[in-house]
Amino acid sequence: MIDFLLNHPVGIVILTFMKALALLVPLLIGVAYLTYAERKVLAAMQLRKGPNVVGPFGLLQPFADALKMIMKETIIPSGSNRLLFLLAPMLTFGLAMLAWAVIPVNDGWAIADINVGILYLFAISSLGVYGIIIAGWASNSKYAFLGAMRSAAQMVSYEVSMGFVLVSVLLCVGSLNLTDVVRAQTTVWFAIPLFPMFIIFFISALAETNRSPFDLPEGESEIVAGFFVEYSSMSFALFFLGEYANMILMSAMTTILFLGGWLAPFGIEPFTWIPGPIWFILKICFCLFVFLWVRATFPRYRYDQLMRLGWKVFLPFSLAWLVLTAGALLAFGWLPDV
Amino acid sequence: MAFLDRTARSMLLMELVSGLGLTLRYFFKPKVTINYPYEKGPISPRFKGEHALRRYPNGEERCIACKLCEAVCPAQAITIEAEPRDDGSRRTTRYDIDMTKCIYCGLCEEACPVDAIVEGPNFEFATETREELLYDKDKLLANGDRWEPELARRLELDAPYR
Amino acid sequence: MPKLTIDGIEVEVANGSTVLQACEAAGIEVPRFCYHDRLSIAGNCRMCLVEIEKTPPKPISSCTYPAAEGMIVHTDTPMVRNGRRGVMEFLLINHPLDCPICDQGGECDLQDQAMGYGMDHSRYEENKRAVKDKNLGPLVKTVMTRCIHCTRCIRFIAEVAGVPDLGATSRGEHMEVGTYVEKALGSELSGNIIDLCPVGALTSKPYAFTARPWELSKVDSIDVFDAVGTNIRIDSRGPEVLRILPRINEDVNEEWLADKGRFALDGLKRRRLDKPWVKEGGKLVAATWAQAFAAIAGKLKALAGDRIGAIAGDLCDAESMTALRDLMVALGSANLDCRQDGARLDGSRRDFYSFNTSIAGIEEADAVLIIGANPRKEAPVLNARIRKTWVNAPIPIGVIGAETDLTYDVTHLGGSPAVLSALHDGSHPFAAVLRNAKKPMIIVGQAALARPDGSAILAAAWRLAAEIGALAADWHGFNVLHTAAARVGAMDLAFLPGAKGKNLDAMMGGGVDVLWLLGADEFDTSRIGANTFVIYQGHHGDAGARRADVILPGAAYTEKHGAYVNTEGRVQHGFRAIDPPGDAREDWRIIRAFSDQIGHKLPYDTIEAVRARMEQINPVFSRVGFLPRFGCTDLSGPAGDPAAISDAPIQPAVANYYQTDPISRSSVTMAACTEAASPTLVAAE
Repeated sequence: MIDFLLNHPVGIVILTFMKALALLVPLLIGVAYLTYAERKVLAAMQLRKGPNVVGPFGLLQPFADALKMIMKETIIPSGSNRLLFLLAPMLTFGLAMLAWAVIPVNDGWAIADINVGILYLFAISSLGVYGIIIAGWASNSKYAFLGAMRSAAQMVSYEVSMGFVLVSVLLCVGSLNLTDVVRAQTTVWFAIPLFPMFIIFFISALAETNRSPFDLPEGESEIVAGFFVEYSSMSFALFFLGEYANMILMSAMTTILFLGGWLAPFGIEPFTWIPGPIWFILKICFCLFVFLWVRATFPRYRYDQLMRLGWKVFLPFSLAWLVLTAGALLAFGWLPDV
Repeated sequence: MAFLDRTARSMLLMELVSGLGLTLRYFFKPKVTINYPYEKGPISPRFKGEHALRRYPNGEERCIACKLCEAVCPAQAITIEAEPRDDGSRRTTRYDIDMTKCIYCGLCEEACPVDAIVEGPNFEFATETREELLYDKDKLLANGDRWEPELARRLELDAPYR
Repeated sequence: MPKLTIDGIEVEVANGSTVLQACEAAGIEVPRFCYHDRLSIAGNCRMCLVEIEKTPPKPISSCTYPAAEGMIVHTDTPMVRNGRRGVMEFLLINHPLDCPICDQGGECDLQDQAMGYGMDHSRYEENKRAVKDKNLGPLVKTVMTRCIHCTRCIRFIAEVAGVPDLGATSRGEHMEVGTYVEKALGSELSGNIIDLCPVGALTSKPYAFTARPWELSKVDSIDVFDAVGTNIRIDSRGPEVLRILPRINEDVNEEWLADKGRFALDGLKRRRLDKPWVKEGGKLVAATWAQAFAAIAGKLKALAGDRIGAIAGDLCDAESMTALRDLMVALGSANLDCRQDGARLDGSRRDFYSFNTSIAGIEEADAVLIIGANPRKEAPVLNARIRKTWVNAPIPIGVIGAETDLTYDVTHLGGSPAVLSALHDGSHPFAAVLRNAKKPMIIVGQAALARPDGSAILAAAWRLAAEIGALAADWHGFNVLHTAAARVGAMDLAFLPGAKGKNLDAMMGGGVDVLWLLGADEFDTSRIGANTFVIYQGHHGDAGARRADVILPGAAYTEKHGAYVNTEGRVQHGFRAIDPPGDAREDWRIIRAFSDQIGHKLPYDTIEAVRARMEQINPVFSRVGFLPRFGCTDLSGPAGDPAAISDAPIQPAVANYYQTDPISRSSVTMAACTEAASPTLVAAE
């Protein structure tokens, strides 16, 4: 049986499928509970209780929401492009899931441990903007279109500085493989030497996932709900799931690039008693908490401020830090062996 | 110096960090909301909730069809029809409140010379159909019978301020 | 003509005026309860206090104080205000705090003035007075505890209504207004004491507890229960007329309204025709308008004009009679009549059939001869005007006809009209009275005209009028008193047999094949020929509807705009207060719709167009509300041989005041009044 799964072509497909399922099911449950966590954290910071009626402490709330979403009618606006309109949420959701193929949960625990993992991630997360643009355009609605435009501009802007941050990490690692990136942090997490990059990366991640304070594409107080204003029922839910899956993905990337992935802090006991995946999940949870924390704290940016921050602050700063990092590595001979 | 100070602060995201600190402190503070359907907040004796028509202790309905509540109602939610009862007393034959029109201002209660129409402490009377919110006299009298102990108590508590 | 200064305003008032009247002339409102400008002055409420300079320094009740030259009156000084506050406090001592259950609430003088002069609390801690309620019959409800002893009701009943039924017993706090021995008020004007009562002691019994004044929408209209044309205000709420009140019109009703007009309104809700009916196989079946019209059109198709007839009833508006008349003319019929009672009215000249002296003119008369009329039953408000004239100066009033109490002293000249010839030749002592009068009046009633010798009586009355000088250039003393609100209007529209036309009698017994009854219920319908196809257009299921083959539901007077001409010939417009019930429609619209059906489309679509057509028929319809006084120079009298008068005594035209028409016959209140007034009459039925 094991032999069949490992060697027979069909077996490999089945095995990969099972692996994907093993990753995606917890991921989707995580997404569901992220919505719950978001409501709870926001409520706590606003001195409220948050959902607490469905199940103990409101723990079944995500399922109630899911049920509600499924029961609702999918409304397709009469002026919309039906095909693209339905395609957009699938695309967004699918891409958010796809990126997880290369995330290593533990040493060697990746579905596809490819040697260009970072590039793959970068490519996939860039594609996410298509879902949004298609949604905005296919809705044939002014608000949706405005939202999509904002989203596209925002993603393009922040991916540039994000790229420089990644390059500086890559310089320190000498590999595009994500497992290698984590392994390179055995001595010290990159968050410490590359602290400013870490901050820029995290802030860019906020912008990349359209999260507060960069949630202008949604901007419910100005453009109602942005690109998914016309969406309802499951098509809306797919956007929602995609957005939250992206948040988890970005948290995972932050963890892998800067917080040492599955590695226990400082590599000392008793932290090392706890298995790697647990550390990995805990670190992701911390990042997600910061996501929510930031949402509870900061008001939304104005659009020109957002652009100014991206192009006039992050881009030059990350470029400068990249040069600085490269120079330091070269000067002190710390360049990794390739 | 001031420039340096300001630049350093902004580079170190001091404002953002202090903002995050504030929200984090609130995160751990005790919560002010209550677990609503299971716990309920205190209600003032003047709370203006669901309407009720009261009776005298001997079971006689208080309302004398003076129509002051109907006249004062700013939402014109009250409809009254009256005629002499068999014993010659002035009584309503119809006392309707359209709870979907009512704005819960309490003027009916204030206008009532006999404390017949009151707004009780009940605010949980949501219904599934609109028609159920068109209260008639029977419904209002039933409300009065159900809530009478509380209605009498809140009138007594509020009496010194009237 | 003394000149006074009131609060700095100088006014000149007529001799004999009081200070209160002078204040009113100056436009200053003085609060009062007992004073009423149509009643005698009592001066017992003391609310109208004012301060007058150079008199003893005390508040003076202005309603009793004669105005004198050079008086300086202050109506708003601290003393006056304190005085009025004191009076108000005394009045409120024994007035119960039951405004919420009082029907007067919202239109109460005491309530209003307590807002100005009352305190927010009472200093009176002793027991309040309580008085047993009196039973004043089915119309007036009493709550005597509320009475403030203004005595307006007593004075009205004694002075205006002329029935000394009410009075006060005991004095001071123990004073009670009542009827001494319990009895229903015997006046046809008793409802007016409800309006007069400044508090809620006297309220309307049928209207009890039904509505508040602020809920009612008010529409001006004209009373149709007698031919006086009393100006009324219809108070309605939603689809229901709740009460009827008089409007002030000095020329017609002053501010009084007869009980039938005030209380018969509950008849408007009962026995109504609210959908068309067509007789099929001997039974009336509910139908649609189209079916009803088709049934009539089918009947009319192959019929010659002179086989069709129309009779107009007593409550019709002029518009519907115009439409029906035009329709009949279009069909080639001259068979029209409006005189259901068979009165021998002569339509050739307007002053042969109207009350030419005018109601206000009665006050100028110095001798009256009433022939075959009982104005107390036929026109109570007009009777009050005769009584007012008689009270001011006891003029001689002669009556020919049944001997009844008319609320003033009369000389009864005999029950038979034959006495007219004795008056004519001067052999009767009353002839000299009439001849010596400067402005004598002769009132001819319907009872005298609805006799076979009616036209003889009419001619004899005219001849007598001409002889005694009642017909002069500045005085027209010949009057016909009608009982039906529609009658003069119908006469003005010439709703009478045309050339070779048949009158009502000729149309009976198969005289016509199709008979259109426009609200005509007051004749013996069994006289209609068995094969005559009867169309009844009206609002109540009464005599006419019972005989009908097709019923077209019309509107009652509260439900349509309508012009009515009163007995004087005064054209007045009533307005629509509520919608007709069910499928019923305004009458002229029904006729207009039907005329289209049979290809004789009447040329009017709006009420304005109908009224234009009415003016075309008779220009008097353009003179709304206003009635010029005129004399008489053409002494040629109506057709009729005065010698043909028979000896038969005149029978009263109105047997039972309370039930004279379909509406009042349907009214429960009027039935109760009938029972209270004459239990034997009800028992006999």
